[in-house]
Amino acid sequence: MTARAIVVENLEKYFPPAHSGWRALLHPVSRLTLCALAGISFSVEPGEAVALIGENGAGKSTLLRVLATLILPTRGHAEISGYDVERDGADARKQLGYYTSGDEGFYGRLTGRENLQLFATMNNLAHSQALRRINELAELLGLEEILDRQTRTYSTGMLQRLGLARSLLHAPAVLLLDEPTRSLDPLAAAEFRRFLKTEIAGRLGTTLLFASHTLGEVEEIASRVVLLAAGRIVAFDTPRNLCSQTGTADLQDALARLTGVASSAERRS
Amino acid sequence: MKVHITFEKLYAFFRRDLAIARGYRSAFLLEVCEALFGVATFYYLSRFVESPQLLSALPQGGSYFAFALIGFAFFDYLSVAFNAFDASLEEARQNRTLEALLVTQTSLPVMLAGSVIYPFILTSLRTIVYLGWGVLLFGFSPRSANWGGAILILLASILAFAGLGIFSTSYTLLFKRGNPAKWILLGLSGFLGGMMYPVTILPKYLQDVARLIPITYSLEGMRAALLGGAPFRLLWPSIIALLVFAAVLLPLSFFTFAWALRRTKITGTLTHI
Repeated sequence: MTARAIVVENLEKYFPPAHSGWRALLHPVSRLTLCALAGISFSVEPGEAVALIGENGAGKSTLLRVLATLILPTRGHAEISGYDVERDGADARKQLGYYTSGDEGFYGRLTGRENLQLFATMNNLAHSQALRRINELAELLGLEEILDRQTRTYSTGMLQRLGLARSLLHAPAVLLLDEPTRSLDPLAAAEFRRFLKTEIAGRLGTTLLFASHTLGEVEEIASRVVLLAAGRIVAFDTPRNLCSQTGTADLQDALARLTGVASSAERRS
Repeated sequence: MKVHITFEKLYAFFRRDLAIARGYRSAFLLEVCEALFGVATFYYLSRFVESPQLLSALPQGGSYFAFALIGFAFFDYLSVAFNAFDASLEEARQNRTLEALLVTQTSLPVMLAGSVIYPFILTSLRTIVYLGWGVLLFGFSPRSANWGGAILILLASILAFAGLGIFSTSYTLLFKRGNPAKWILLGLSGFLGGMMYPVTILPKYLQDVARLIPITYSLEGMRAALLGGAPFRLLWPSIIALLVFAAVLLPLSFFTFAWALRRTKITGTLTHI
């Protein structure tokens, strides 16, 4: 039996409200009252590319961070390749790569290769296996010429490619990406999208779940779209179906209509 | 197999820190010079204050210079235990590597343990430099030292201090900055632990409080081993006291740390700056 790549069931996530002054000391034990995810459910099949879209604060990054085991869900559960992200966090991490654009944390005084070697070791790759994998990824991502330079000399685009290489070191079955092209210029972004679609999803067969504000990117890469608003799923379907359901010509209009419908539905309730 | 992988990871962290430090070679040379100034200051201070009365108050006899040098050099280990865990967590948050590390197959305790190996080794080198300057230029003579005993005292001290350091990191994990417990405990240890003067000159009630902090046993044992050449049977009380501290503090601190880690994953502040 092949497990679904991602399963999310009735997932809820609440955070404590922000405090200032001495009340900030109570933050770690404060009640969780701010809703970020309000009981969402969906699943992603192996090899599929699914986009998360929605306004800022809709819950996209929170969902990705729960799946990446960086934060714990309040209720409900989520699985990566059959492993519960809360109960079997270590096993789930073996199956996933996580990539956040613009927040690439690297050691600037180490070279790209030294950085990747460190993260490969942290992902339990043996030394020889790590060297082979780094060379493969460097070739795949066009990093060969810069890999032996200190990363503090890298441009944003180079850091992004290095970040992607890092998230692929252990050949994860599922790749979670948070706004992967946010800091890239249009040409670099187009190249990055092509790479994700043809190499990562196409050639390697990696399951992609990515958050994006760029609808062109969503249409180019994703087979299905999860539309989030205020922590709830408003729609989950293919871009084409979303357009036909709403009687619109493009995804932007479809999303505007769906978000509007959700708002009026909420107003009615 | 798992232990082997963990050691590989710890070594990888050490290699990382060494590689980063390679970029700051002059800082290491400056530290060697700074140690010389520190040792010279103690030497001349001791010549100024030494009197028959003071010398008779020192537990191992000898010079005040040797007494203060041991106190100063080994107090560093406590500072490192308190600061290194905190600093590695803070640094990983600041340079945004924490999130990238947390999604790997390495647990946060292993990351923190790996990140303090280099500071502890550097502190050991610094201690050797302190003692070396003392021997080379200022007549410090550890000829009769019980080195085996000193190493045992040091290892037991590191275990006890690590417990305190992990407690301190739990606070940083939860509240991110300003760690009053760290400064209170470091200040108390400096004041009561016998770094610059023997604990016996304190009032009785403060001597009782000093018995509740590990640095007191660490410095007593270290001085007895290095200055008095005390045999193991005289060092055991200090070693056992330090091991009792470690046996109590390490499990408690791991428990606190695990709770703090879970709590930050619930509040979503684990990687917040």
